[in-house]
Amino acid sequence: MILSEAQKDGLTELLNIAFSRTAASLSELTGHRVLLSKPEVEVCPVDRLQEVLGGVLPSEEVATVHQIFGGPLAGDALLVLDMGGAATLVELLTGEAVHGPVLGASAGEVLVEVGNILLNSCLGMFGNLLQVHVTFSVPRLHLESMASMLDSLIIGQEEIRYALVVATRFVVSESAVGGYLVIVLGVTSLDRLLQGIARLG
Amino acid sequence: MAKILLVDDSALARRILRRCLEPEGHQIIEAQDGISALEAYFLEKPDLVLLDLTMEGMHGLDVLREMRRLDPSARVVVATADIQESTQRMAQEAGACGFVVKPFVQKQVLEVVGRALPAVGGPATAEEG
Repeated sequence: MILSEAQKDGLTELLNIAFSRTAASLSELTGHRVLLSKPEVEVCPVDRLQEVLGGVLPSEEVATVHQIFGGPLAGDALLVLDMGGAATLVELLTGEAVHGPVLGASAGEVLVEVGNILLNSCLGMFGNLLQVHVTFSVPRLHLESMASMLDSLIIGQEEIRYALVVATRFVVSESAVGGYLVIVLGVTSLDRLLQGIARLG
Repeated sequence: MAKILLVDDSALARRILRRCLEPEGHQIIEAQDGISALEAYFLEKPDLVLLDLTMEGMHGLDVLREMRRLDPSARVVVATADIQESTQRMAQEAGACGFVVKPFVQKQVLEVVGRALPAVGGPATAEEG
């Protein structure tokens, strides 16, 4: 499955708008400017999903907020932070130092809420632009290796052949916080997304 | 000043809302899920409820419908990370009298709360936050 240039252009523009809304939310939360890289977009067979995500995301232990979304567009959304960045982000938001290499329950709860806000901002903008209603599950925090976390993706459990992987790197300026936003859609949702984008143009 | 029930499964979200509202003299009570919210509502009789949507157990829209079914005069503002216009419409249809999105900004929260709280002797009406 290959995207045409027009499809890729439309998709990138939609993602730019959605991720910009997310960056604005993160900026409001932290009080710092947030820099975004250009989103990386790849359509890959589901059995290569872990390999593709593994090539984009850090391999060490990470803090990941995972939110499953449903409706006309269904899939997995991830906020991925390295452990140091996650601790710094909690400190920025609470004003309290995070001690030790393992994030405690209180820090974890802060990260879940941040993930909830950021992923909802992004996917909600998708819903608004495409005029579809996206439903959200309660977000979950995973503190483990990227490989273990990827095993929990709902999209890989379906009988589908392709997935859209979208990833962007963000950096909170004047801090050590950086991370990734990742959206994984199955082929049915991808098709709906492309149809919606075509209608916009 | 009003008694306000904050319903959110995130303690961070409740703390942020508390910080927005307490300096204005409002009395704050909290619940972290839908069932606790319904209990707190009928025990405490708050003037206003700020209600999250995506929570463990009952979804916020179900909490809103149940609250309004049991007390049609309940004033509820939906306070959520879900920025979708369709969600805002659904909240209004379920009887919400306001809508405010995360991340919370104090000025916006106070504006929505100010509009949602009853004027002296007057009814609250459904409106956009």
